[in-house]
Amino acid sequence: MPSSSPVDMKLAKCKHVKYFLRNLKLMPARASSYDSTRLALAFFCISGLDILKSLDVFDEAERKSTIDWIYGLLVEPISPERGDDWDRCGFMGSSTFKFATDGSNEPSPYSSGHLTMTYTGLATLLILGDDLSRVNRRALSAGVRALQQENGSFCASLEGSENDMRFVYCAAAVCYILQDWSGMDVQKAVNYILNSISYDYGFGEGPDLEAHGGTTYCAVAALSLMGQLETCLSSKQLNGLRRWCISRQMSGFQGRPNKPVDTCYSFWVGATLKLLGVYHLIDYDQNKELLLSSQDSTIGGFSKWVDSDPDPMHTFLGLGGLALMSDEDLEEVHPGLNMSERALSHLHSIHKKWMS
Amino acid sequence: MADSSSEEHGDESTWVFYKDRPTWKDVTPVPQDDGPYPVVAIAYSEKFRDVYDYFRAVLKSKEKSERALKLTKDALDLNPANYTVWQYRRELLKSLNSDLAEELRYVWQMIEDNPKNYQVWHHCRVIVDWMQDPSKELVLTEAILEQDAKNYHAWQHRQWVVRTFNLYDQELEFVSRLIESDIRNNSAWNQRYFVINNTTLFTPEVIEREVNYTLEKIKIATFNESAWNYLRGVLEQQENGLAGKDNLVKKFCEELLDTSEKGKTKSPYLLAYVVDLLEESMGRGEDVPQNLEKALEICKSLSSTHDTIRREYWNYISQSLEKKFKKGNDAEEMAVS
Ligand SMILES: [Zn+2]
Repeated sequence: MPSSSPVDMKLAKCKHVKYFLRNLKLMPARASSYDSTRLALAFFCISGLDILKSLDVFDEAERKSTIDWIYGLLVEPISPERGDDWDRCGFMGSSTFKFATDGSNEPSPYSSGHLTMTYTGLATLLILGDDLSRVNRRALSAGVRALQQENGSFCASLEGSENDMRFVYCAAAVCYILQDWSGMDVQKAVNYILNSISYDYGFGEGPDLEAHGGTTYCAVAALSLMGQLETCLSSKQLNGLRRWCISRQMSGFQGRPNKPVDTCYSFWVGATLKLLGVYHLIDYDQNKELLLSSQDSTIGGFSKWVDSDPDPMHTFLGLGGLALMSDEDLEEVHPGLNMSERALSHLHSIHKKWMS
Repeated sequence: MADSSSEEHGDESTWVFYKDRPTWKDVTPVPQDDGPYPVVAIAYSEKFRDVYDYFRAVLKSKEKSERALKLTKDALDLNPANYTVWQYRRELLKSLNSDLAEELRYVWQMIEDNPKNYQVWHHCRVIVDWMQDPSKELVLTEAILEQDAKNYHAWQHRQWVVRTFNLYDQELEFVSRLIESDIRNNSAWNQRYFVINNTTLFTPEVIEREVNYTLEKIKIATFNESAWNYLRGVLEQQENGLAGKDNLVKKFCEELLDTSEKGKTKSPYLLAYVVDLLEESMGRGEDVPQNLEKALEICKSLSSTHDTIRREYWNYISQSLEKKFKKGNDAEEMAVS
């Protein structure tokens, strides 16, 4: 057992808080390739602050204006009656193509929800304590449903996109948050997931594709949110999947056999192991050492690989990876929804209100 | 973060803003409305702002023209991940009846520059689908795989092309070449499975061929998880179990164990495979006490020496084997007495 490093290294908590705040304020021009998915960036930063137990950096006015900005990206139904335009409902990733509607009854062109943004938008609202009362839940579910494909998978948006396991997960997360599974044909989605098991028991983006840590997370977390994880996989499949996941640990985790470790898989694979009930079998020390050494303790943030540039996603997931081990002073993370247990219990109290 | 050098430099010195172009004088740019308190605002360059202001105007008026097509190119250079711009570009290509061969050359250039971007690959797939011409795709994906043999997008595109246009003919050969050059390329092993599973299927002859092929590869690199996973995947397609026909694989493993140098770390994949073999025979009720003892012994050596990062996992496997097979024995004994 190497007794040295993990103990010496410390989580640069203050630096990471500042890192997130800087990014929330203004990202550099080279971040332009994230322009259409800014809502996801906001989620990484705000959810990251939540894990750091630092949401109190926002005063009430900032919290409110952030919530308003997010609702500003919501594509809402024109008519309260179910109509074709409900298919467009969901959150956009940015205001790049948000047009003033000129008071007409026409939907603005090219304004439609994107599944990842709908999931991260709702999650961020919950983290900020919003009660989702400005969301038309039935319309949002219709927007999810419109994206399901014949083979059970989902596209990201109506505007022509690939369909794969990532969006199956996002769809399941949205249905879970809204407590409305009319957003998908669950059996079809389950079949797609089952068809994507590889011969090595990990899951690929789709049938025949190589098993991958990120897509395996999406598959397993989606099944778990649907309440199907224990029932639709055989014990042979579950054991094979456990072995595949645990075999990804090299120090931190890799995403595929014979690939280098990457910070984000400490979360993707770690959370999958947690959902499979065997997270406690990993080597905590080595995982922690890798994660702490991928943080930039000068400017804050975590990077994909040790000594490369940090980015908000790997910072969020690096912290999530640490939080799964629940040893630093971090908020506990729910492995299935990838948000804090604190935000999740807020969601459950909203669910209770909806039920009554 | 995408590399920004191509947009910062290139034709920067001769670049003319859209707002200064006489040919665009008739269009009123539409500024972005980000609300009073934008979150994760991006410090757009002046060029970015200009191009997108005009693109918004075009989108709003639904202008379908050659100049709009050129504008999408500039918008995509600045952000190749903007799926709405790609979608509008496809609508333009349709309504302008554009040369799709030209478009395919363009998108492959974009793939070269952005090989890990989802949107460029999706656009490529749509264009190939429209043209119903996959003739260049195998060569082009191969070129991308030469730079990064594990690029997931390239493999995904290649599988789609092979499946859709039934181009399985040379694929096994291609895969073998890649495995030859990197025996640890898990993507290539996966492609091998894909090809067989969609062509000859795993008939007894194919299984025999694949088992022999894989055992040869394992001999070269016993610590290669990809080959062991493939071996298991193939053998699970038949009824002889992990031991293989006439216990071929079982004997191979025993031999490999015997010849591993004493005192050196043994392949954890080999040891894991032997544990699974033992479990399999115990499941058939064969020599349970002896096999259990052997299996527990190997788990212990994995946990203490050969796979220490997974020591807790091997302890857990050891305990579950003990529970499963010791208990069975107890029950049997009790039934007898
Ligand atoms: Zn990563």
